[in-house]
Parts: sequence; C-alpha cells; structure tokens
Amino acid sequence: MNGLPLNLRLRRAMLIALLLGLWAPVKIVWEQQIAREQDNLRYHGLVMNRQMRDELGQGLTIGILSGMRSVVADFIWLEVTTAWENQEWFRMGGLVNLCTSLQPRAPVFWDMGGWQLAWNASVGAERDVTQPNELRRLKAARFWIDKGLDVYKRGIENNPEYWRLWSDTGLLYQQRLKDYKNAAYYYQRASELPNAPVYLERFPAIMYGLAGDDQGAYEAWRALWEKLTPAQREMKEHWKEKIESNIRRLEQKLSVPKEKRVFPN
Amino acid sequence: MISSLHRILIIARNTLTEAVRQKVLNVLLIFGLVLICSSVTVSQLATPDIDAAGLFSEQIKFVKDFGCGAIGLFGFFIALLSTALLIPQELDKRTIYTILAKPVRRAEFLLGKFVGVVLLLALSVALMSLAFAATLYWQESVGLAAVEANYAQMDLKHTPTAQSMHDHDAAQIIKQVRDPQLVEAVLLIFAKIVMTAAIGLLISTFATSWIFTIITTFMIYLIGHGESLARTFWLSHGAETTIWQSGLIGLIALLIPDMNSFTIVDEILAGNRVPWHDVLNLLCYANVYVIVLLAVSVVIFDYREI
Repeated sequence: MNGLPLNLRLRRAMLIALLLGLWAPVKIVWEQQIAREQDNLRYHGLVMNRQMRDELGQGLTIGILSGMRSVVADFIWLEVTTAWENQEWFRMGGLVNLCTSLQPRAPVFWDMGGWQLAWNASVGAERDVTQPNELRRLKAARFWIDKGLDVYKRGIENNPEYWRLWSDTGLLYQQRLKDYKNAAYYYQRASELPNAPVYLERFPAIMYGLAGDDQGAYEAWRALWEKLTPAQREMKEHWKEKIESNIRRLEQKLSVPKEKRVFPN
Repeated sequence: MISSLHRILIIARNTLTEAVRQKVLNVLLIFGLVLICSSVTVSQLATPDIDAAGLFSEQIKFVKDFGCGAIGLFGFFIALLSTALLIPQELDKRTIYTILAKPVRRAEFLLGKFVGVVLLLALSVALMSLAFAATLYWQESVGLAAVEANYAQMDLKHTPTAQSMHDHDAAQIIKQVRDPQLVEAVLLIFAKIVMTAAIGLLISTFATSWIFTIITTFMIYLIGHGESLARTFWLSHGAETTIWQSGLIGLIALLIPDMNSFTIVDEILAGNRVPWHDVLNLLCYANVYVIVLLAVSVVIFDYREI
C-alpha cells in the first residue's frame, strides 16, 4: 500500500475526502431529524451521570454503552427479586430506582417496583419483630407505602397512557391508605385509558360508596349508565344489573325526585 | 451490468458457503440460540411465583429483552468476525490473486464479499428469530395456563367481573407475545449489524491484521453509541471549546454513525408504540450509511497494492 505513487495516493485521498465531505452534512442533518422525532416520542429517557455509573459498575456501564440497556436493567431487576426474598428493603428501593432510571418508559418496572415497596416492604415492616413497638412498625410501614406511591406516581408521569399504573395507584389508595376518594380518581383515569379492562369502569362509583359519599357514588353510577350505549348495556361484561340496582338503591336513599330519576318506576 | 451483477452474486454465494463452513461462526450461532431459549429460565428467576398477568408482563419483557439482546449481540459478533476475516483470509490463502487475475473488478470482488456477509447475517438473524418466536410462544402457553389456573381458584368465578378479569388477562398475554412491532425490532437489529459489517469491511480494506479490524470496529461501535452526545455538544457548544477539542468531537459527529438511535428497539420491547415511518427512516439511514461506507471501501481497495 505504501508503495503507491504519490499522485495515486493523493487521488485516493481526494476521492475519499469528497465522498465523506458530501455525506457528512447530510448525515448530521438526518441524525438531528431522527433525534428530534425520537425526543418527540419521549424515547431515550436515560440520563447517564456519574452517580449512575458508580451504581452500575464498569461491566454494566459497558453493557449500556453497547446498546444493551434493557438487558442491563433486567439483570438489575433480578437483584430486586433477590433483595425482596432477603427482605433487604432499602437495597430493594435503591435498585428499583436504578431500573426505573435506566428504562423510564418500561411501565413494568414502575408497576412491579411500586408493588414491591408499597406492599411487600410495607407489610414486611408491619411484621418486623425487631421494632420496639407497634407505633414504630406502623410508621415504618407508612414510610414504604409512601415510597411505593411515589414510584407509581413517577411511573404515571413517564407513562401516562399505561392503565395499570393508574389502577394500581387506585388499589394502593383503596386498600393500604383507605383513601377512597383518591382511589376513585385513579380508577376513573385508569378506566378511560386504552386496553383498560371493562370492570374498572365500576370501581370509581364503588369507591365513592366506600367513602360514604352517596351523592358522589350516585353521580358516578349514573354517569356510567349514561355513557353506555343501549347495546353496550346488554353486554355481559358491563354488568347492567349491578349498575341498575345501585342507581335504584341510591335514588331511593337520596330521595331523588321521580322526574330526575334514571329509573322512575 | 448484468454480467457484473452475476459475478458479484457468484462471489457472494462462495463467501456464504465458506462462512457457513467456519466453525467459529457456527459456534457463535449456537450460543445465540441457546441464550434465546434459556431466556425463559432467566425470566423465571425474576418472578418465581406467578399468579397474575401483571407478573407475566415482567416475564414476557425479560424473554423479549434477552431474545432480542442475543440476536443483537451474536449477530454483532458474527458480523465482526466474518468481515474481519474476509480479506486477510483471501490474502493468506492467496485465492485473491486467482480471482483478481480473472475479469473481476476489485469493486465487484468487495461487493460480492459484502453481499455474502449480509446473506450470512440474514440467515443467522432468521434462525435466531425463529428460536425467539418459539420461546415466546412457549412463554405464552405457560402464561395462559397460569391465568386459567388462577381463574379456576377464584371464589366468584361466574361474576362478570371475574370473567372480564380472566378474559382481559389472557388477551393481554396474547397481545404482548404476538406484538407485530417485534418485526420492527428484528429489522432494526439487522440494520445495525449490517452497518457494523460495513464498518468492519471498510477497516479491513486497509488493515494489515484481522485483530486490528476487530478492535477498531468494536471501538467505533462503542463510540457510535455516544455519537449523539458528541453531535449535540459539537453543534451547541463547539465554539466554546479549543480547536483540538472541537476538531475531535466534530470528527466523531461527522464520521461515526449514530448507533444510539437504534436503541428505540428497547422502546418496542417495553411495549411502547413506535410508528413505522420512524423505523423506515432509521432503516433508510442505515442503508445510505452502508452505501457510503461501501463506496469508501471500494476507493481504498481499488488503490490497495496486493
């Protein structure tokens, strides 16, 4: 190769420079356009900083740099499972945060991470016999419920279209915090999203009922009845009898005037 | 033109036959297939007790991530090794002299070799994708069986809520497994490894050893994942740095391909919708990049003293 005459070497260099010179501006513009589109679709949520690099270690950082971000996140998730089995709640919390930072648009990490903290860690704290008294146990349990709730809410910020995160937040408010009005709000939002199961549409009204808000429950049942088309009402999954019996019961209980009732008879 | 294409295809077919006979590439392919099939076991480590579709989302995500990860990783290794060995082997065995002594242009020889590698990669990716599909199908059947078992244990199984829950969970599992977007993911992975092969071919046209080709291609592949950072910095802060810094970062931005764009595969695997026009845009980008790399390779190889 070195034996090539100077003029041929120059010619070759000029040809290569010409090719790359023509391509480089096109490349930059094209890549910028791809990046803009991907930003609009909210991809690449990961921000790699020094703290994350320290937490990941050298091997996993190279994994991420090789384009294996999801596999790296999965490997870390295996550690979450181990931490759960060993009841190492603080370690588990840190690992959940790491996974969700690596793949903020993977709803399953938010979903399972929130469940691990708000349910498993909090129940574990409630049963912790090393705590001196019940008050300390309840305080620790509440700490983990709040952590789980925070994971769910950050998950919703990153994946607002994923119904299960809304529904699980509702479930947490309902069953662990007994805050039925907030539960109703989250179930309502979940039921409005694509792919949400049909049964969720009844949950807001049930939550208002549990909160003792008969007026709210009546309005929710009524809104549901009016939202459904006559054909939908006949479909088994919408459970027409359930909606009807609740509306009738509440109309009776709230003494709704006959002319304003859904079922005057 | 047609005779030239004919010569390219003959060289491509021979390259493919030679590559298929190479033990190292076959071993890589077998490792890839084993890793894809074992992804089910790894996914079960994440959730030892399964009782709901929520947990199945996690397992299916694991199988998808490991499956596509294996296709990408072993496809990358096969691309790297096969291109790195292309020209050095021909030189070592002195077969290149016999071929180039015939009416075969150097460009035809190089393109034929590259097409052969692309065919090898297509074959490998197709085989691994089949194993991936079979693994996913198996995961689906396990998931559906678990949903049925869960439903059978329900106390109020005949209420509309329980039935709706059961139907929804089963539909979710099927939807996640039979996601048509997985085709997009496999195409993007394929495009990325073809780009890697083209980089490897370019380097092998002037490299004097295959180790140099492998190391340099691997480094370019790694830097490619940070190219978007270099490009953004160069475009926004290029003027604030020294001429050397700006020159180095600019060189990366101008010459190295943006491999990070292809990580939208992660979004597909996480279940997010990626529009087809974005995927096609990336595939076009990869194609044009490969054409440019091949053109530069041809220029270098044309002037190489053999």
